Amino acid sequence: MANIWVRFLVGGLALLAAIGYKNYLDLHAPGKRPDLDNKAFWGPKSRESVKEATVILPFDISVKPEIIEDLKNQLSRPLKAQEPLEGVGFEYGFNSKELAKVVKYWRDTYLANWDKREQYLKKFDHFRTEIQGLQIHFIHAKPTQVKGQAPKKVLPLLLMHGWPGTVREFYDFIPLLTTPSDKSDYVFEVIAPSLPGYGWSQGSSKTGFGVAQVAVVMRNLMLRLGFEKFLVQGGDWGSLIGSNLASLFPENVLGYHSNMCTNNSPLASIKLVLASVFPSWFVDSQYSDFYKGLGDLFGTILEEMGYAHIQASKPDTIGNALIDNPVGLASYILEKFSTWTNTEYRKLPDGGLTKRFTYDQLLDNVMIYYVTNSITTSMRLYSESMITKQMSLNVDSLPIQAKAGCTHFINEITHVPEAALTNKFPNLVHNTHHRDGGHFPAFELPQQLYEDFVAFVKKADL
Amino acid sequence: MKCLIVFGLIVAAFAALGGYGYLVFTDLVKPLPKPEFNDNTYWGPGEEKDYKPDTKIYEFKLDVPQAEIDDLRQQLNRTLKLTEPLDGIAFEYGFNTYALEQFVEYWREKYLTKWDERQELFNSLKQYTTEIQGLNIHYIHEKASEEAAARKHVYPVLLLHGWPGSVREFYDFIPMLTKDQNISDYAFDVVAPSLVGYGWSDPATRPGFNAAEMATVMRNLMLRLGHKQFFVQGGDWGSIIGSNLATLYPENVIGYHSNMCVLNSPLAILKGIYASFYPEKYLPSRFFVDHHFPVWEKYLELLKESGYFHIQATKPDTIGAALTSSPVGLASYILEKFQTCTNPGLQQDFGAIVTVFGLETVLDNLMVYYLTNSATTAARFYLENVSKTYRDLQLDRVQTPVPMGCARFRFDLPSVTDWQLRDKFPNLKHSMYFQQGSHFAALEMPAMLYNDFTIFVRKLGLHGEENI
Repeated sequence: MANIWVRFLVGGLALLAAIGYKNYLDLHAPGKRPDLDNKAFWGPKSRESVKEATVILPFDISVKPEIIEDLKNQLSRPLKAQEPLEGVGFEYGFNSKELAKVVKYWRDTYLANWDKREQYLKKFDHFRTEIQGLQIHFIHAKPTQVKGQAPKKVLPLLLMHGWPGTVREFYDFIPLLTTPSDKSDYVFEVIAPSLPGYGWSQGSSKTGFGVAQVAVVMRNLMLRLGFEKFLVQGGDWGSLIGSNLASLFPENVLGYHSNMCTNNSPLASIKLVLASVFPSWFVDSQYSDFYKGLGDLFGTILEEMGYAHIQASKPDTIGNALIDNPVGLASYILEKFSTWTNTEYRKLPDGGLTKRFTYDQLLDNVMIYYVTNSITTSMRLYSESMITKQMSLNVDSLPIQAKAGCTHFINEITHVPEAALTNKFPNLVHNTHHRDGGHFPAFELPQQLYEDFVAFVKKADL
Repeated sequence: MKCLIVFGLIVAAFAALGGYGYLVFTDLVKPLPKPEFNDNTYWGPGEEKDYKPDTKIYEFKLDVPQAEIDDLRQQLNRTLKLTEPLDGIAFEYGFNTYALEQFVEYWREKYLTKWDERQELFNSLKQYTTEIQGLNIHYIHEKASEEAAARKHVYPVLLLHGWPGSVREFYDFIPMLTKDQNISDYAFDVVAPSLVGYGWSDPATRPGFNAAEMATVMRNLMLRLGHKQFFVQGGDWGSIIGSNLATLYPENVIGYHSNMCVLNSPLAILKGIYASFYPEKYLPSRFFVDHHFPVWEKYLELLKESGYFHIQATKPDTIGAALTSSPVGLASYILEKFQTCTNPGLQQDFGAIVTVFGLETVLDNLMVYYLTNSATTAARFYLENVSKTYRDLQLDRVQTPVPMGCARFRFDLPSVTDWQLRDKFPNLKHSMYFQQGSHFAALEMPAMLYNDFTIFVRKLGLHGEENI
């Protein structure tokens, strides 16, 4: 009698083990590269049958004076925002007292100095070219060399921003990359595009233009500019687009560096669950405070992702609420520069906005969205990416062959531990932690991001 | 022998686990007692000790200065740079830009040029304000007509609106309740307040004003007006506030009627999942299955439509600043709900709002939010109701003896079955399924709602009526 039960038990355990192992192998196995049309047309119907214009033209970002005048008038209207609740800082969102200060500065100081700001935005060379039917804007910053010193090796670098950012985030970062320093044997030729639908890059008028399709456009941009092999750096959507690019086009990517490394494969999800329960198995104890448990993670997602929820489902509604609405746009966008720089800033009546940024910096960024009317098209990246059609491409299960570097600035919203990154980044040569900084390190701590990036490049031994 | 011990241990482990699970389960689903609740919290500005209560009732008449209307027309006359919808897209991604442009033009050229007429319509129902717990509360108060009062039983009824609605939703419903109808032996003294933070009622000035506090203020309003016992009717937030009122103050509520019967207790959720496997067993007819099931589909639909809920429940001041700075923005955000909360709207019909509600009506409602600048304070209610303070009250688990009536309109947000409702409302006297209609029932089909409400009232047998 006992014999039968033993056989039953052993047999059952063996079966479970076999199923578990097969699943484990499946989860670990790299996925199949999806079939994407590298020449898919995303432009307006009027250009569909026209031959793609491959010319690269300098682009004038000057803003028509009537737009500035109209903006001044709008900002001069009485502010109708409700008083904040007693004792509340930024816990209910953007505090209207701080908003009043921002609006006043914008109108009386920033716009009075607009010519200077516009000149500043033009400090890099701006260009546009047509890729797959879309006008793509980019900054092209060539490296300098020091006279009398041995020239540094030049590597091309594709630098990508996210939402609600713009190329403006990189204005202090780019000079560090293009200027020789003793921190690196390399200097970089930087291509910093506006993502399609953001800033001065045209958005698609077709559905289906999600993160993988954007990666194809960005890669084609680099090819257009004569760069067959290049480095990729990004955060936020820049990180995701870069990750897609590196997964889909291993032949083009020398190295991938991100300040928001993510891995959305099933295996990573399982590891995250386990890491939540048994953190010491997955995380170096000296950095355990970077890695939240799942409960905290879900709490953060619920608290901070309302914008993503509405943008992924109703981009036209929320977009139309913010276009032509400078005060609303400032409130909506700048809330992120407060909370995502440091969630502790939610407790502050001024959201800690000026702890790490100046009003000029922040308003430069808002102005780019405002003068280009790109808020709605920027949100469509959410609605076209966060859907089963995009996720079924399963780019997440394609490992990135190139050397990869991940860096964690402590106040970033969430961090994925190295153990949960390895199946996506099998060549992860660099995984660092910084006890300062948040979601926008290029904007907030450009020197630290630069030093981290060149440290990665060194380890990548290109 | 060793194997028997091992086997015995495994069984014991499962039994212990099962036992523990049972204890956890029963703890999670058992009804809870009515919580202690302060029915006199001061919610006005400043310190309570400096507050001098004013119990007088003041008449209210809407009288918007022409300059405000002119300014709004000017704002609506700006050249809009709205982004075109994606190819082939109507309302699948939110409120369609072309539709919005048409609305804005109508609003500016046709509606606002007739503003005096609209204002007269607003004032056609008698309105007042009075201070409750430090907050100035605006409300419509229409008594049953003389003819009706002479022939019928008259009872007070508290009508509660929701978001993005207002008292405007009740303008066709109220005359049905107060006038001499041949349908029912009942007529009503109607009190329809603007919720705190909505319309012309003051907002709270400190955190914590949730749906239980709202129910308290509304109940105190009725007491102020001399109504110690009254009916409550509501949809959307009005339904939840009414449910709280019936739970916290059962001695004041004669009957509670809802057109959005939701319940989110753990037991209700578990029952919902269970019933999804045997839907016909728990419904009066298989024709009503798609009101509730499939659960997965309903959940995905809700996920798609609840972005506004998520952002208002976490960052109400951010979105509020956007909506109060731009009438076009406000229109886009609110009109989306009037579009999707209708059956033709869900079929991407561009004429849905016009056909189902009428342009003037929807713009009247939009004007309430615009004129009172209440988008922010209205949004804050969402945050207060997802906060731990409110969730800890666990009011969905507290039973109430108050008789309940439930009307389910086909295209509204999903409701729960009677099987689930009875755990909170053991005195569920009336339950009806409608194969048409949607979220704004009082606005879309006031006669049906009136009919259903009076059937519910009759079923209470307050005057010896036989059970129908």
